[in-house]
Amino acid sequence: MLLPIVFLLFVAGLLVWQVRSAEQTVERIQVANQNIATANLISALVVDEETGVRGYQNTSNEIFLQPYEFSIGPLQDAFAKLRSGIAAEHGDQSAIDDLVAAHQQWVTTIAEPMIDTVRNGGNTRDPGANLRGKAALDNIRAINGAIIDTEKQQNAIAVQRWQSQVTHTLYGVVAASLISGVLIGAFARNRLHAVTTAFQSTLLALRDETQITYQSEQRLLATLTSIGEGVVVCSSEGCIELLNSVAEHLTGWSQYEALNLAIHKVFVLVDEAMRDAVENPFDQVKRTNRLTGTLHALLVQREGSVLQIDCSGSPIHDRFGTLLRVVIVFRDVTEQRRTQAALVASEKLAVAGRLAATIAHEIHNPLDAVVNLLYLMKSSSTPEEMQQFIQMASVELDRVTQISRAMLGMYRESRTPVALELKPIVDSVLVLLERQLAKAQISITSVIPDDAIVTGYPAELRQVFTNLISNAAEASAPGSSIEILARLIAAPRGGSPAHPRAGVIVIINDHGTGIAASDLDRLFTPFFTTKGEHGTGLGLWVSQGIIEKHGGNITVESRASSTDQGTTISVFLPRGEAELSTTKADN
Amino acid sequence: MSQSGHLVLCVDDETVGLQVRRLILERSGYKVITALDGKSGLSLFESNPVEAVVLDYAMPGMHGGEVAARMRERKPHVPILLLSAYLGLPPEITKLVNVYMTKGEGAPALLEKLGSLFEN
Repeated sequence: MLLPIVFLLFVAGLLVWQVRSAEQTVERIQVANQNIATANLISALVVDEETGVRGYQNTSNEIFLQPYEFSIGPLQDAFAKLRSGIAAEHGDQSAIDDLVAAHQQWVTTIAEPMIDTVRNGGNTRDPGANLRGKAALDNIRAINGAIIDTEKQQNAIAVQRWQSQVTHTLYGVVAASLISGVLIGAFARNRLHAVTTAFQSTLLALRDETQITYQSEQRLLATLTSIGEGVVVCSSEGCIELLNSVAEHLTGWSQYEALNLAIHKVFVLVDEAMRDAVENPFDQVKRTNRLTGTLHALLVQREGSVLQIDCSGSPIHDRFGTLLRVVIVFRDVTEQRRTQAALVASEKLAVAGRLAATIAHEIHNPLDAVVNLLYLMKSSSTPEEMQQFIQMASVELDRVTQISRAMLGMYRESRTPVALELKPIVDSVLVLLERQLAKAQISITSVIPDDAIVTGYPAELRQVFTNLISNAAEASAPGSSIEILARLIAAPRGGSPAHPRAGVIVIINDHGTGIAASDLDRLFTPFFTTKGEHGTGLGLWVSQGIIEKHGGNITVESRASSTDQGTTISVFLPRGEAELSTTKADN
Repeated sequence: MSQSGHLVLCVDDETVGLQVRRLILERSGYKVITALDGKSGLSLFESNPVEAVVLDYAMPGMHGGEVAARMRERKPHVPILLLSAYLGLPPEITKLVNVYMTKGEGAPALLEKLGSLFEN
């Protein structure tokens, strides 16, 4: 890059130098020419002088002497000029000195004495003087001629030098042009080569990148296709862009058929319990513009059958946060729910097992009394005694009936949620647990308002309270107490996060051992138990499931200070919509 | 039929059951004293010349097994009949007592097993 420029600058410098020296040569030619002219002028002036002197000599008329006199001044000027001209050429000054001296000699020895002789009327016809005069003038002419020859020579040398300089410059320019042409060509070739290489490597890199992009796209596509969950991608307008194979299988739509269809047509969700339409995760993402939580719902397949699924939606944004796409991921949980249902059923049986002691006691004791009373009645008794025995047997049988009803209530499923008074529900649970609690010497106080009404499934709620009260009792030391308290919650204006709806909070408070902080997080996970072989580890998990199904929630707080120990469980159950039937159902 | 007035202590937290059992035993000729829990049963056991005990297992506070063990410490010779609504009590409890039977087997069975305690 730098080389041609440096070279061009060098060539330019060389040219300037050449031009400068050519100019000097021309100057020298001019000086030489001028000197020749001056020397010629000197010749002419000397001739004039001679002519003047000769005329005056012949005529003795002063008028003829005029050329001589007029030439004296210019001749001095011409000498000076010639002297400086030769000096400018650094020439030999002796020639001009000789010339001036020869002329002066002629003036003083020939011309002036001749003029004086004529003025004085003397003899001018002295052949000797004329010959001397001629010789002096010849001498002047010879010297001047030599000067002219020298100057001509100088001129010729300078001209020759100038010609050679011009020739050299020409050669130099041609050579420089050639070299710079070659250099520029080489440089251009070099640059072109570099550009070509860069272009080629860019092209290669681009090809590699395309290859990598393609491979990664294929990999992602393969991952997406082989992933075990259904994936639906739709545009921000809700048009289907992609269904992976699991999604195709679960929805019953093929990718080809579903392409560009509305998400609401392909991915239809209904509520698990009521079969009402539920908000599509797509709409939820559009509304909130962020990831949804896991939603449980029924997916209506193309041919109309339903699947239980868990699904979630997430937005895809561009760099500016504009919603580009929505991705819905879902999974068939029918099998999982079936397993869960089996676990729930097994917990129900476990509750029954735990209640077996109570059942045996509560039923066997009154039955034993009745059997014994019948034995007494069969043997001789007075009518008064008979009356008393019948009365006692009837009381005992009432007890059995009460227990069996409570047991039945525990297991009789109702198909739709109904409005329930909580008080009789909790009371019936306490009837079943009475024996267990008495045995553990635990006193229970239960304060539940009569108008504490919720909507739900009585058998399931009995199971929940049996579980929670049994847990409290098992954690309590003999002689301690458990308090059950319920209060009504009005629907707050605008809704509060914890209790967005009207309902009832039931608080079960014990003074037992409390729960270790490390266990609190795991309380509601299945198979977590602190009771060793005596617990299934399903109780709280199932209870939570039931409460959440009712639209409620359950929270646990544990106190472990030295002055106050124990656990408080709060259960919120919504009032719901169901009407309380006027004829009391036997719960 | 008549058991010539052996003194029997009945302990049970079931008021009605205890009352009926007392009637049956008295009709068979036993003298009967009753207690509604283990603690008062033990004090009656110590202060009376009890010849046999009919003991309920499931009682609040102190269960029948514990009561039987304490009675054995005081008067090891007094036979004990343990009644229970439960089926299948653990052997370390049943081996403490002379006879173990479940409620609901009926009065004749009770009388027969109690009578057998006095035959030895």
